[in-house]
Amino acid sequence: MKKRIVSILAMGLILVPFLVGGVCAKTLTIGSMSPLTGPYASDGTDIKNGVLTAISVFEAAGGIAGYDKIELSAQDTACDPRQAVAAANKLINLEVAGVVGAYCSSSTIPASEVLAEEDIIMITPASTNEQVTDRGLPYMFRMCGRDDDQAPAAAKFMKESLGAKTIFIVDDKTTYSQGLADGVKKAAIEMGMEVVNHEHVNQGDKDFSAVLTMAKQANADIFYMSLQGYSPAAMMTLQAKRLGMESQIVTQDAVFQPKYMEVAKEAAEGAYLTYGFTDETTPEYKAFEKIYVPKYGKIAAYATYAYDSATALLKAIQAAGTTDPAKVKAELMKLDFQGVAKHVKFAANGDSGSSYIAYKVVDGKFVPYWEPIKGLIK
Amino acid sequence: MEYFIQQLINGITLGGMYALIALGYTMVYGVIQLINFAHGEFFAAGGYVGAIALAYFAGVGYMDSHPVICLTASFLIAMAYCAYLAVGVEKIAYKPLRKNSRLAALLSALGMSIFLSNGMMLTQGVYDKVYPGELFQGRFDFGMISISYLQIMIVSLTAILLVSLNLLVFKTKIGMAMRATAQDKTMSALVAIGSNRIISLTFAIGAGLAAAAGIMYGLYYGSVKYDMGFIPGIKAFSAAVLGGIGNITGAMIGGLIIGMVEIFGAGYISGEYKDVFAFIILIGVLYFKPNGIMGENIDDTRV
Amino acid sequence: MIHEFKKVWKQYTIGMLWLLGLLWPMLGIHPDGTLTFQKTVTVWSYLLAGSLVCLMIYVMKASGSLRFISTPLSRTTEGLKSATAAFPSWVWIMIVLGFALIYPQFAGRYGTDVAINVLLYICLGLGLNVVVGLAGMLDLGYIAFYGVGAYTYALFNVTYGLAFWVCLPLSAFFACIAGCIVGYPTLRMRGDYLAIVTLGFGEIIRIILNNWMSLTNGPNGILGISPIGIYIPIFENGLTFEHFWVKKLEFFYYFALGLAIFAVIAVRRLNFSRVGRAWESIREDETAAELMGVNTFIYKLLAYAMGAIFAGVAGAFFAARMKFVSPESFTFLESAMVLCMVVLGGMGSIPGIILGVIALIALPEVFRELQSYRMLVFGATMIIMMLFRPSGLIPAKRMGTRSEEKES
Repeated sequence: MKKRIVSILAMGLILVPFLVGGVCAKTLTIGSMSPLTGPYASDGTDIKNGVLTAISVFEAAGGIAGYDKIELSAQDTACDPRQAVAAANKLINLEVAGVVGAYCSSSTIPASEVLAEEDIIMITPASTNEQVTDRGLPYMFRMCGRDDDQAPAAAKFMKESLGAKTIFIVDDKTTYSQGLADGVKKAAIEMGMEVVNHEHVNQGDKDFSAVLTMAKQANADIFYMSLQGYSPAAMMTLQAKRLGMESQIVTQDAVFQPKYMEVAKEAAEGAYLTYGFTDETTPEYKAFEKIYVPKYGKIAAYATYAYDSATALLKAIQAAGTTDPAKVKAELMKLDFQGVAKHVKFAANGDSGSSYIAYKVVDGKFVPYWEPIKGLIK
Repeated sequence: MEYFIQQLINGITLGGMYALIALGYTMVYGVIQLINFAHGEFFAAGGYVGAIALAYFAGVGYMDSHPVICLTASFLIAMAYCAYLAVGVEKIAYKPLRKNSRLAALLSALGMSIFLSNGMMLTQGVYDKVYPGELFQGRFDFGMISISYLQIMIVSLTAILLVSLNLLVFKTKIGMAMRATAQDKTMSALVAIGSNRIISLTFAIGAGLAAAAGIMYGLYYGSVKYDMGFIPGIKAFSAAVLGGIGNITGAMIGGLIIGMVEIFGAGYISGEYKDVFAFIILIGVLYFKPNGIMGENIDDTRV
Repeated sequence: MIHEFKKVWKQYTIGMLWLLGLLWPMLGIHPDGTLTFQKTVTVWSYLLAGSLVCLMIYVMKASGSLRFISTPLSRTTEGLKSATAAFPSWVWIMIVLGFALIYPQFAGRYGTDVAINVLLYICLGLGLNVVVGLAGMLDLGYIAFYGVGAYTYALFNVTYGLAFWVCLPLSAFFACIAGCIVGYPTLRMRGDYLAIVTLGFGEIIRIILNNWMSLTNGPNGILGISPIGIYIPIFENGLTFEHFWVKKLEFFYYFALGLAIFAVIAVRRLNFSRVGRAWESIREDETAAELMGVNTFIYKLLAYAMGAIFAGVAGAFFAARMKFVSPESFTFLESAMVLCMVVLGGMGSIPGIILGVIALIALPEVFRELQSYRMLVFGATMIIMMLFRPSGLIPAKRMGTRSEEKES
């Protein structure tokens, strides 16, 4: 008897979400794929929010001719290839006009193979691995930069601006982080710097004391962290400072999240990171900020890229006047506009160029510090 | 040498935390032979409640005037909350299944673990919850070796909790009742020990210890996240088995060993394979001593 | 009526108050030092309303107020049951099979994709059933063999260009070896020690896959695995064979279906063979089995190897379908999922396991609409199903009784 009651109680818990929902008429559906559950749920949610913002902007401007409504189908990949493929198939079934996603390169690659079979346009806002666009898929686009652009930029920064001679590299063994760490190592050696050690931690680790003690012992000029997501990076920074490590911390674009400073607090001060240059003074950025911040809070790493990806997709559909992939692609290639995160113009292989610069954490904010051609930014 | 000592200190801190979590596993296992997968989530919930309480105290302004009182209060609140959570979870998800096969309860526990961690995600958000950083800042430096105040606090608090648990289990009437229930439920019922009460109590104590570990974790690593319970949960479970499941002293030793192996494995051999070393030690020990280091202490009616 | 169910209501009230106490600290305490109740009460009242509806239905059913619905309902189910019994079981099997055969014609791409997952997991679930359900050894690292199978095909295919059908036995072989390696040291252990050691082995294999850069390409995974290739006979100018890649999802579905059918038949045959009887005797009482002359060592090792072979074969199919493997697909949670399918469906029962697999693969997909609530609902469903059907959806029929059952 008792057992029944309890189960009924729990059943009630389940029913609640079903109460919410609705059906609509003639709509344009676009898809998004990002991890909404699991360890990278925070970054995945940023992506979803960015796309939602783009849709709301389009709707406010009168929508797209021929459609009453623009709708988002946000699919969860949980950063797991199998779920990513299921999500891609689901989106195909929903006959989406295009997909923004995914986050993890390891999800984007298999999902794009599936989407390619049905000629569906995919724009990734976050997967920086070279393989994403190097496989020659006709409908694969990328809004963010490439690892093989970021790594030399980071190495150049460490050599020229910080005058580093020795580097200690740590990565956390994901497609993205390891690829980047290897790239930095290669570029650093080519530029005549010494890589004292290249250590690995595992995804999901929280205790880095062993590897940090090693780094402290090595006492290199630079401690380069290549980690997936801001969360482990913030923890590592905090622990490094607590242990009294004196090497300069340099990290990469996945850490570009205001939460990094919130978690690491003072320990983050003075850390450098490379990230695609985003001009925060443009009217586009200001407008985005005005809509995004009150609704979803601080602007995070991939929200802007997701916004630009969705905007590009919707603009192309608007210009093409149809969702036919070949025509939309032709319009996408013609696009040339100032987005929130960057200037959007796609190259033939689907990349949109990288503009990596170094940021410095000053007073709990990311401040542009250095760029590869002109050097220090005043 | 300095390097070795530094890694030893790291290992003790981490091992202490594992030991605290492992105790919950081992105690619950001792009384109802259930691997309580949701235990890692009690640990995470403790971390969250601690963060919420500390933030609240900071918000009303007590934090600056009475930091020690606030911290103690947060510990007590989190431990009470997790005990409350655990007792309810036991009543809902495990008690109705006590008569069924152990695998059914195991699955229910797994479902509970998924449910709780996602519940925390939905109520607390997907981002890390930050701990106030001003507490116990600073460190002692001896040459290359450095010990932070936090580490000292964590290790000593862990020691206090472990000693008081030992006293509770081995020196009081309640402890005797717990041990009796763990050894033979039928016999202990005959001498008027209410097994339901004892089981609830065991869950409460185990979850309370996990909550304490959760706050220490938050203080030490600076933040907590909804999915943080899973991996420490598995490690702590290994630690409990390594020490001999159902054996409280064993869980403490097991926790320390797993922590040490991980740190030394990462520090001397290779960071990416550190979990492999921990598991190899576990498998090796169990191969030669199938009942764990300290031997098991449970009611195994089948033998 | 209210009086009769006083106990029910009391417990319900206590439960809901407990939930309120649980929710409030998480939702109502804010870092700026304010306390609010509104949000907590809103969320809580949703839950209250939902659970109240369920409870009302339950109470009405128990007190007979729903007889006007339940009587005809039970009559129809009984009618159905007798109708079911009227046909021999092979008719039903044929109907299910027929449905499975035409399924992709109307399911669409997504439905087919989910169905392929179901079929692969049926193979996995049945394999684990050999270890857990028949031989009674709790295995928490089972997915590692799946990984070994998938990587075997991926590596042989990408490095040496071997075809799928050549690699399939290789996958089974390597998974079998891995099964023996895991099985050998664990045979001395019992129950939950076995569980943790298998968990450890599972993690070790995953970590090795993730870190052995030169062999497995680490976290990047292996790309460009070829799909299944078959030769189709063509009768122009005599008999020639044309090579054909199975790229289309529907075609692949039929291969997966074939695999699942093979697994069902194999496990059924094993179950009713001498070996299966030996396993069952080990599960019921190892000491007694040994006394009766069952070589427990060999049979337990065999159970491991057998389970691993099923997983290895399923793994090869998985790699061929995804055309991409990476270690992220072989985590502990995945092992736990497969175990859930077996236990939820009913250990040792083949139709039960099929149902369990369908439930656990389809549910998260059905809940996809709920987005971030997905896993929460999934966890709750798991608990509820376990509470209602603790011995599985379709429990296996056992011969005799166990010593434990008599005691309690």
